[in-house]
Amino acid sequence: MGIPVPKGVVTQGPVQWNGKAVVKSQLLEGARGKRGLVKVTEDVNGAIRDLKGQGVETFLVEEFIPHKGEVYISAMLDRRSGEPIIVASPEGGIDVEESKNVRIFQIPLERGVRSFDVTNIEKYLNVKGLEAVVKGLYRLVVEYEAELAEINPLAVTDQGVIALDSKVILEDNALFRHQEIVSKLSRQYVADSYVELDGDVGIIGNGAGLTMATMDMVKLEGGEPADFYDVGGGANRERVRECVLKVGQNSKVKKIVVNIFGGITRCDEVAAGIVDAMKVVKKPMFVRLVGTNEEEGHKILRENGIKAYADALSAVRDAIRS
Amino acid sequence: MNSSTRVIVQGITGKEGSFHAQRMKSYGTKVVAGVTPGKGGTSLAGIPVYDTVQDAVKEHEAEASVIFVPAKFAADAVYEAVDAGLKLVVVITEHIPVMDTARFVKYAESRGTMIVGPNCPGLIAPERSLLGILPPRAFTRGKIGIVSRSGTLTYEVAEMVRNLGQSTVVGIGGDPIIGTGMPKVVKLFDEDPETEKIVVIGEIGGDMEERVAKMKEEGQIKKKIVAYIAGMTAPREKRMGHAGAVVYMGIGTFNSKMEAFKRAGIPVAKSPYEIPKLLED
Repeated sequence: MGIPVPKGVVTQGPVQWNGKAVVKSQLLEGARGKRGLVKVTEDVNGAIRDLKGQGVETFLVEEFIPHKGEVYISAMLDRRSGEPIIVASPEGGIDVEESKNVRIFQIPLERGVRSFDVTNIEKYLNVKGLEAVVKGLYRLVVEYEAELAEINPLAVTDQGVIALDSKVILEDNALFRHQEIVSKLSRQYVADSYVELDGDVGIIGNGAGLTMATMDMVKLEGGEPADFYDVGGGANRERVRECVLKVGQNSKVKKIVVNIFGGITRCDEVAAGIVDAMKVVKKPMFVRLVGTNEEEGHKILRENGIKAYADALSAVRDAIRS
Repeated sequence: MNSSTRVIVQGITGKEGSFHAQRMKSYGTKVVAGVTPGKGGTSLAGIPVYDTVQDAVKEHEAEASVIFVPAKFAADAVYEAVDAGLKLVVVITEHIPVMDTARFVKYAESRGTMIVGPNCPGLIAPERSLLGILPPRAFTRGKIGIVSRSGTLTYEVAEMVRNLGQSTVVGIGGDPIIGTGMPKVVKLFDEDPETEKIVVIGEIGGDMEERVAKMKEEGQIKKKIVAYIAGMTAPREKRMGHAGAVVYMGIGTFNSKMEAFKRAGIPVAKSPYEIPKLLED
């Protein structure tokens, strides 16, 4: 993208290094600085040893860049206007979300980045030489279809700006057009809605809204959700079995709430999938099941000793009390 | 949309398209034609199929389209519908790249076509007309207008307010960029003589709920609104099933939406099951 970055190496063990460096834990998570997972040090291998003790496996060791200032800059699509925007803040570093000192520069798709856009952003940040950064971030969003392309912080030095840390979130739905990136990162993309949380009540639902509502109800009733898992539209027996297995095999999960409103999803298929999974997962299940083939579904559950609920709140309440 | 709107189905020979085309037709929707490139001249359950939207429109004077075309080809289908002069295009397809949507939404807007979706269940005027995949038996004709970013949650809420019934229900879709947003639908409900009260089913991410609240606060909306927002327990920057249910840069958090509704005097249900009670208060 033509955006300058520090020199560095990726490593899983000790490295040859002279002088001051920044050791960054390579995790797919934010707020690493805040959590002490980024260290500025003269003793690179000592820092790696410490972080390994905290369970980190891979590190990026980079030259330390002395700089006189840090700013924040990112690009994304604005949901309301449907146009790309550059988000900038003169306060670089962690937690720009909390900052009130943020400005948004809209750069319409129809015309792309122009010289005056760069000038406006440079003036606001009071930093010169941002053309490559602005154009690079913009291209990541428009050509590579990133949902978010962020440099935080962007260091300001006497020799120009340099990106000290960055994050790019690619859009899952557009990956079919960017196979070269997928293979370069040697990652396999699997479409799945599962999101792990911190609690102990496993959550499975159909439809994103209904599943979120179920998580929220668990919380309101005094429990802590362990995950978000939407089985998707028209889930069959096998899909439901896999979902229950995945949630049930999380060792933090003590009980599982399933909330299904069957339209194209058939309750008998759901019930059969749950029963299949129960042969492996021996945890209490609270199943709310209504809609298409509801009676057959309830019958299958009953015959296998699982209580079926017609209303979600009762299922959630019983789960929390158990 | 009403029961005399003449509708075509794009992607009618696919699994979803063929099932839902027939269901819409049996519900009373005037499904006059279907389109699948390469299948022109055939028919599906008595519905004639054409190669292009233009051919279908020429023969049947269609005004609206419902799109079931797979994500990779969905943008083409939308441009085709817009260029054929259709006034309403409902995009059911999920997983369309957001950059495609950003572009076709703008294109349609500049040419006077209303887009609903993508990634939406469509709309229903109970006991009259259905454009989409909402399960008919969850809905009864009545006085409540429902606008929602979610599918199953909408069906559930509609069943709960069965005794009041619904005037129109619009599933606007779960993507970050959509053709017709919540504020527009709420405004239409406010002007619709059949709608007495409005239910807004939102979720985390984006600022549509905040904009509805602002409209109410400023007195632009006269009718009573009751709201629900899913995602109180959702973590930051994690996508909750819907492509649009994600908070970036702190925009559209659960708290921001709650506070906006509170300021506007809009009651917010703690769980969807509280909505009927709030409607009657």
